[in-house]
Amino acid sequence: MQYCGDFRTTYEKDVKIFETPFVKICMGFLGVALLALPFLVKGEYLWILMQIVIAVIGAVGLNILTGFTGQISLGQGAFLGVGAYTSAFITAKMGLPFWVGVPAAGCVTALAGMIFGIPSLRLKGLYLAIATLASQFILEWVFLRWEPVTGGSYGIVVPRPSLGGYVFDSDRSYFYIVLVIAAVMVLFATNLMRTRTGRAFMAVRDHYISAEIMGINIFKYRILSFAVSSFYAGVAGALYGHSLRFVSSEQFGISVSIVYLAMIIIGGLGSILGSIYGAVFMILLPKLLTVVTTQLGTSFPGIAEVAIALEQGVFGGIIVLFLIFEPDGLAHRWKMIKAYWKLYPFSY
Amino acid sequence: MKKMMKIASMVAALGMVLSGVAFSAESIKVGQLADLTGPTGDVGKPYAEGVQAYKEYVNAHGGINGKKIDMQMFDYAYNKDKAINQYKKYKEDKVVAIEGWGTGDTEALTGFVSADKIPYISASYSAHLTDPKKAPYNFFAAADYTTALRAGLQYLKESWKEKRAPKIVFIYPNVPYGISPIKGGREYAKELGFDVLSDENVDLKAIEANSQLLSVKNKGADFAWIGGTTNSTAVILKDAKKLGLKTKFFSNIWGIDESTPKLAGGAEEGALVMAGSVRYGDNVPGMKLLTSVQKTPQVTHYIRGWVSMMVLVEALKRADKATGGKITGPAVKDALETFRDFDTGGLAPGKITYTATDHRPFMSVNIMEFQKGKLVIKKTVTLPRKAEWLGL
Repeated sequence: MQYCGDFRTTYEKDVKIFETPFVKICMGFLGVALLALPFLVKGEYLWILMQIVIAVIGAVGLNILTGFTGQISLGQGAFLGVGAYTSAFITAKMGLPFWVGVPAAGCVTALAGMIFGIPSLRLKGLYLAIATLASQFILEWVFLRWEPVTGGSYGIVVPRPSLGGYVFDSDRSYFYIVLVIAAVMVLFATNLMRTRTGRAFMAVRDHYISAEIMGINIFKYRILSFAVSSFYAGVAGALYGHSLRFVSSEQFGISVSIVYLAMIIIGGLGSILGSIYGAVFMILLPKLLTVVTTQLGTSFPGIAEVAIALEQGVFGGIIVLFLIFEPDGLAHRWKMIKAYWKLYPFSY
Repeated sequence: MKKMMKIASMVAALGMVLSGVAFSAESIKVGQLADLTGPTGDVGKPYAEGVQAYKEYVNAHGGINGKKIDMQMFDYAYNKDKAINQYKKYKEDKVVAIEGWGTGDTEALTGFVSADKIPYISASYSAHLTDPKKAPYNFFAAADYTTALRAGLQYLKESWKEKRAPKIVFIYPNVPYGISPIKGGREYAKELGFDVLSDENVDLKAIEANSQLLSVKNKGADFAWIGGTTNSTAVILKDAKKLGLKTKFFSNIWGIDESTPKLAGGAEEGALVMAGSVRYGDNVPGMKLLTSVQKTPQVTHYIRGWVSMMVLVEALKRADKATGGKITGPAVKDALETFRDFDTGGLAPGKITYTATDHRPFMSVNIMEFQKGKLVIKKTVTLPRKAEWLGL
């Protein structure tokens, strides 16, 4: 239990990730719940759960770039693709194991991200957004046309991972791999933001001239931010490719980039937790809408077609309303709810 | 009003429960993914209706050796993620086969269906789905895109009377569907002695194609192949007429159908399409049943949906016999691979054969031409089943 207000008396307390024993217990429960979930849900729902966990990795990556360093990127979808194709090439065409493919995917994508991040030295804001949009188109074109490596229009069939004879063939076993990787990467990102590098990212975001005057090498940190962010995208893409067992150019279009951007905006820019909330929200919302509209359709056959057609519009509408009424994202709302209960009933 | 809604929904719920009970006694679960409301809904809907209509007919006439087919249509609106989610549900429901639709989702599911051993009959005719080494559980009931293109090339070459080599250009969108037959098609065109010019890209959502067609005009192409869908093909035909091109156009299976005159407004005259079926009302044995079930005229896509379900029903019957009533996915696949010259009553241009090493149903294509706003079958071209063409 924590009383109203924070009483931090040492620097160690100031940098704690889990501030109180209560939070630690909650996190413990969350961990157990995540480990137990694959046994409680199956089929379609397990698949959606897995997609959420993969999206968390990609969203955290994009948040490092956009939320923490202030570089807008519209190329996240293509960077996921670079990761997926790299791992597909390494595992399916070179015959190396998954455990080599995924880290390699991260590294190759980091390299690609650094190359496409070079314009960030001179461009910022909208200009940089368009430059990264160009990376989306260039990479998509490469996926489709570099046939010896990417399989061209035919795509690549990729295997699921195996370890000493055991193949992680089912969605359940594969989910655990994804979960562990995601947990490690989220923890790493959280810690990164508390280091010198993370502080430099935020300084660049908040006021790049001030940052430069303070002695921060802006170019270095911008490129580094692109590298770290793309590493996350690469790993997420590789995991996605292996989850689907198939990689093709149609999976990494501009719409994927936009969905990821929406995730971090809705979740909360500059917040690791926000990326998680955003990923959960953006993956679950279409599914929820489908359930509602099909239910409407079966109960009232007359409006079935309209209900299904409405889905896209409702989806867009919800996002717009969200941006108007909750511009700081879900992470901010969560903070407000916590504060409300902490201070209750004396809210002043 | 509220009360009436309540009663109505209760009746509906009761009806659903009862029908569920009625089915669960003796039924075979099959999945269907269809696009009714998405971007390909204009052709997806008749196709899906054709599939459903044949199922209804079979269920009303004895089913699969006495068992009913339980196949609910799911509208995934051409959204790949929705298709995968629904696929996971079907897998959970233990379906023994799936009737599918588009290229993106069929390809995304290729890895799954072969791992889960669920035969998948798609309306995506990409050639690589015919190679059992790459896609062991994928099937379809029409000539693949590349075979259709080769057949068209052969037909054009045969009708070419001049001494010089005919010039040809390929116009297609920069997406997997458009690109997949290009490599094989270009090679075959060169083999036949065409002068192959450089390609042109026209997007699926294009509303004009002037610059591309001006380029075609300047190159002086005699023939142009279009690898798009009906909307973009109509745009190309209209702009070609406007620019006064002498080029003869021939399109992939999804590029031209009975709706084209409405879109192209007369510019479709003389354009060819390499179709995978006959037309509604044609004088073939299989048409009698189709017209008795479906009284209103339908586009060719409907007939292909019908044929696709025909193939699945026959496979289910064979698998049911072979397993003594305990149908499984692999049993349906094995049954499909026993097809030798399976006759669709002339609805498809050829008789269907699948083997364990070759999932090409047949090598025949109906070449149709627009004459005065009507599609006319010019010729059925049949190519040899060459091993080196498999999957290319």
